Amino acid sequence: MEAILQAIYDGIIDGNKDQVTAKVQEALDSGLPPEIILNQGMVAAMTEVGRLFEEGEYFVPEMLVAARAMQAGLALLKPKLVQADVKAAGKVVAGTVKGDLHDIGKNLVCMMLEGASFEIIDLGSDVSPEQFVEAVQAHKADIVAMSALLTTTMPNMKVTIDALKAAGIRDKVKVMVGGAPVTPEFAREIGADGTAPDASQAVTLAKSLIGI
Amino acid sequence: MVEPLSPNGRHLLQTVLRHEKTEQVPWVPFAGVHAGKLKGYSGREILTNGDKLFESLLMVNEVYQPDGQPVVFDLQVEAEILGCQLLWAEAAPPSVASHPLAQNLTIPDHLPQPDEGRLPMILDVMRRMKKAVGEKTALFGLVTGPFTLASHLRGTDIFLDSVDHPDFLTDLLAYTQQVALRIADYYIEAGMDVIAIVDPLVSQISPRHFKRFMSEPFSTVFDYLRKKEVFSSFFVCGDATKNIEVMCQTNPDSIFIDENIDMVAAKQITDRYNITLGGNIPLTTRMLLGTQQDNMAYVIDLLDKLDHHNLVIAPGCDMPYDVPMENVIGVMRAVRETEHTRQILKTYQSVEVDLEVTLPDYASLKRPLVEVFTIDSDTCAACSYMYNAAKRAAQELNDSIDVVEYKITRPENVARVKKLGIAHLPCILINGELKFSSIIPSTRELLEEIAKVSHE
Repeated sequence: MEAILQAIYDGIIDGNKDQVTAKVQEALDSGLPPEIILNQGMVAAMTEVGRLFEEGEYFVPEMLVAARAMQAGLALLKPKLVQADVKAAGKVVAGTVKGDLHDIGKNLVCMMLEGASFEIIDLGSDVSPEQFVEAVQAHKADIVAMSALLTTTMPNMKVTIDALKAAGIRDKVKVMVGGAPVTPEFAREIGADGTAPDASQAVTLAKSLIGI
Repeated sequence: MVEPLSPNGRHLLQTVLRHEKTEQVPWVPFAGVHAGKLKGYSGREILTNGDKLFESLLMVNEVYQPDGQPVVFDLQVEAEILGCQLLWAEAAPPSVASHPLAQNLTIPDHLPQPDEGRLPMILDVMRRMKKAVGEKTALFGLVTGPFTLASHLRGTDIFLDSVDHPDFLTDLLAYTQQVALRIADYYIEAGMDVIAIVDPLVSQISPRHFKRFMSEPFSTVFDYLRKKEVFSSFFVCGDATKNIEVMCQTNPDSIFIDENIDMVAAKQITDRYNITLGGNIPLTTRMLLGTQQDNMAYVIDLLDKLDHHNLVIAPGCDMPYDVPMENVIGVMRAVRETEHTRQILKTYQSVEVDLEVTLPDYASLKRPLVEVFTIDSDTCAACSYMYNAAKRAAQELNDSIDVVEYKITRPENVARVKKLGIAHLPCILINGELKFSSIIPSTRELLEEIAKVSHE
């Protein structure tokens, strides 16, 4: 790997925002193609961050600082990616379901997906089924990602899936669900396409759902 | 009337928290909002209305026969007093909707007073519970842990503060630790035997992070509680496997964990520190969605694989509101009468549905038939309440109905349960239809249901 890409990679893993911004700028100035910077520097680093999280080496603070560094670099890179017509891996509409304000898990999933070059439409928390449906239609999303921390709000995942069906768009979008009380059985039962136990494995799931 | 199987649960639990050996493993059901379900109140009602809370807690005490029980399970009590807005739900504790320190790095200095927020109601119910059941049941006062309270005040940026504003985080935790001590003082004065510091967020940080920011405030709290001569507990939810060791080093009397942590591995660590370990019946997969047998089997498995010294059986965390009462009763039976329960499960597994059982011809009954299915009404309080309710109804109706009890201690009754597709015990069927499963009916409710079939 080129030294400059290595510096971007290391900067993300260490959560060093300033280093990432400086090195991404330097890489762009030196004429490196933006998709190389994205894939070999940033996506590779976030994959490693995900692995460290899965293995219990990294926890929420380490993930958040890494994701913040990644986002700082991405802000510089995005206009260039658009110019070069580099497409996102897929579009994801994400949110914590109605009645639930817990957003740490959802935020981590969004950051990891963004780090895997997905485009994220983050609807925040306490998101109604109608808001999910509207966002999927407006953005032509490939995936809906729903989160819940409470057993009492989990049923709203099914309500949302039913709303997608009623709007006639359930077969146009994949549905992934997650959160502490969500089990694979529950996901199957409510008609979701999959669930993952943590933010890192959510990326693997999202990729498999859209066949990449 | 059934005598409680553990005549003095409080004594038993205290002995275990003193790390002495006991014959019996204590049982602590974490019935927070779930307590309301037993009396038909919403979670919100019992978290805001002292009379309803007290009534519900007494019901928990009666039906689940706990050795220890919490009075309130709500980690938003302190946050509400300190200016966080709450979003209320009917079947769950409220959530924090605003964070006063989200944009502001000033450390507050106000400490909650006993007349603020919901404290007057909570302290009153604690005193009433102490008077009503305090002799036989150890009462838990649950205090929001310093890290979780700090996150309520600051929001998710609390995680970045460890990198961006470490001094602020240290100072904020010193403040929330002071809040915890103040709340603990009030709860101790109201008669609580055990002060539990509940900090689910601890599962989200590394041991290194814990040592740097959390070790000091948590150690200070547990030292303080020891000086105050009350027992202490450290509750964590989520996968805090890697933090068990550093949690032990803060020196609580006990640690309670949920299903995300392996009890055997955790107990190896807590045993090294001579700390009591409690847990970890899965809240969703077993307690909320599983059958009574699933719950019994889980507890028996725990008891089989763990050394009973320094052990408490409890749900992984606050039970969901809708946990079927029968599942909690199943857990209680498995803790209290392990061998008996093991036999019941064995019978249950071995009995085939086609064992010779003839079901009544429900369509052509001459009189209403009330069938009560129980684990065993001689030893299970809730079962005896269910059976007595049916007997009272028969008395009211001058014995013009038939009442039968089927105990699943007998294989043919297990076959009957399976044939009828009954999932939870105790329950009541009227003319072959399941009428009461989760809640023990009042005589009036039962008479109403019987009247319906009489008129058909």
